[in-house]
Amino acid sequence: MATQILLLHWKAVRIGLIPFVVAAFALPLIAVQGLGTTGGGALSLDAYRAVAAFQIFMPLFPLLAAAVGATLALSAWNWDHQQGHVYALSLPLRRWEYSLLKLGAGVVLALIPTGALLTGSLLATASVDLPTGLNAYPLDLTLRFLFASLLAYGVLFALASGTTKTATIVLTSLIVLPLVAEGMLGFMANFFPSIDQVSVVEEVFRAIWESPGPLRVFFGNWMLIDV
Amino acid sequence: MSNAIELDRVTWQAGKSFALKDLSLRVPMGSIYGFLGPNGSGKTTTIRLFMGMIRPRSGSIQVLDGTVPGDLPRVLARVGYVPERPHVYPGLTVGEALKYHSAFYPLWDEHWARELLDRLGLDAGRKIARMSKGENGKLLMLLALSQRPELLVLDEPTDGLDPVVRRDVMTAVLDYGSETGATIFISSHLVHELERICDWVGVLDDGELVAELPMQSFKNGIKRLRVQNAPALMPDAPFVLLSRQPSDGIVQGETWTVRGWQDPMRQYFEGIGAQVRDVIDLDLEEGFVELLRSSRPNNHRN
Repeated sequence: MATQILLLHWKAVRIGLIPFVVAAFALPLIAVQGLGTTGGGALSLDAYRAVAAFQIFMPLFPLLAAAVGATLALSAWNWDHQQGHVYALSLPLRRWEYSLLKLGAGVVLALIPTGALLTGSLLATASVDLPTGLNAYPLDLTLRFLFASLLAYGVLFALASGTTKTATIVLTSLIVLPLVAEGMLGFMANFFPSIDQVSVVEEVFRAIWESPGPLRVFFGNWMLIDV
Repeated sequence: MSNAIELDRVTWQAGKSFALKDLSLRVPMGSIYGFLGPNGSGKTTTIRLFMGMIRPRSGSIQVLDGTVPGDLPRVLARVGYVPERPHVYPGLTVGEALKYHSAFYPLWDEHWARELLDRLGLDAGRKIARMSKGENGKLLMLLALSQRPELLVLDEPTDGLDPVVRRDVMTAVLDYGSETGATIFISSHLVHELERICDWVGVLDDGELVAELPMQSFKNGIKRLRVQNAPALMPDAPFVLLSRQPSDGIVQGETWTVRGWQDPMRQYFEGIGAQVRDVIDLDLEEGFVELLRSSRPNNHRN
């Protein structure tokens, strides 16, 4: 049962996922290729140039992780949505079991681009002579990538499992509620001036994106080569 | 006799426009039950309720001695379902769909699935997205039958199919029913199709069950009568008067349509000073139409 759901998900996602697998493999190699070579064909870098050069590519890794998560999540439910979920609901499984099997299939499939990234990172770091003071972090980068893509997958999987209406309500609430709260606090600040110091929108933003917020991983250190 | 499907006072509401109101339905075990009703009467909704796809507001549902939704996985493992529209994932081939489907059903009969594949003329390598409506209909039937279900639920299974495919599909269903004794529940608005094969019939109109009885009683019991000298009021009639039309000048006497008619009931008319001049048999379609007319609130009986 789990195998069939995995194969189904693979079939639904493969065309969308393969470009990201290629990108995950190629990105670390491209990132170090741009640094130039010196004698013997191996790269010889000074620490400053290496870190600065790699920083150019750094934002692409979380973007790639988010894209992988989104592709897996949307493809997980796409065929079910097309068929009005009638087939899935007629199967002899509890809804939570079915959802869990689908979620699990996506987690397994996320290992494919992750594996490609690890391979690419290992090859890239093996191809450069790191100057003293710098280290390569292929495993750290890979784990960060896996965590970020699973996080994006989990959030979008939950959103995509419902109707468009539900997703719109959730997303709109996330935007509108802090704005409404901000407006209310602004009004209350007329009576309680100390409240004026608080910005709900800013606090919500911080709670989500900054440490230890759930989406902090996307803004962390995505360096393959660092001090 | 136990029932394969039993709905007891089930209520379901979709917005303000449509509702199933206190729907009670009994499908005897081993029967071929025809579920008739015009488009939009609630047939598919009823099926989705007892298949556990949607939840009723009130009432109880039992399928194959299991409660829905409480025992749903156990129940659905024994139910073959052919929905109104093709529902199998379009990106799969026929062979992949068979493999996928078989993983969920413990009684899946691989040998029989292969046999049906040949018999229905389906190509295992063909992609579902590229199949015609007829081929899709055959595939759905193949999937449902290969599960070896105790209950087969067919929602408009032949709607839009050409006569050859329709015959193939219905033959496969009837063969399965006679071979295994499985209960077959067929929803349709094609009355003549059910007339030949069903032994029970339920008629749904605007979310209400208008009639539920053995097919034989349904066919034999609905008659058109020519009645002379009928009084305006009908005290204690032993039949159900579905409609009553005055003389049109060509035919003498009133034309009545009645349900539950038996020949000895002629005596009733003598007792009230009227005479039955003719008793005309109606086919199922005419009976069905009269039944629907009589059940609607704007029906004029006099």
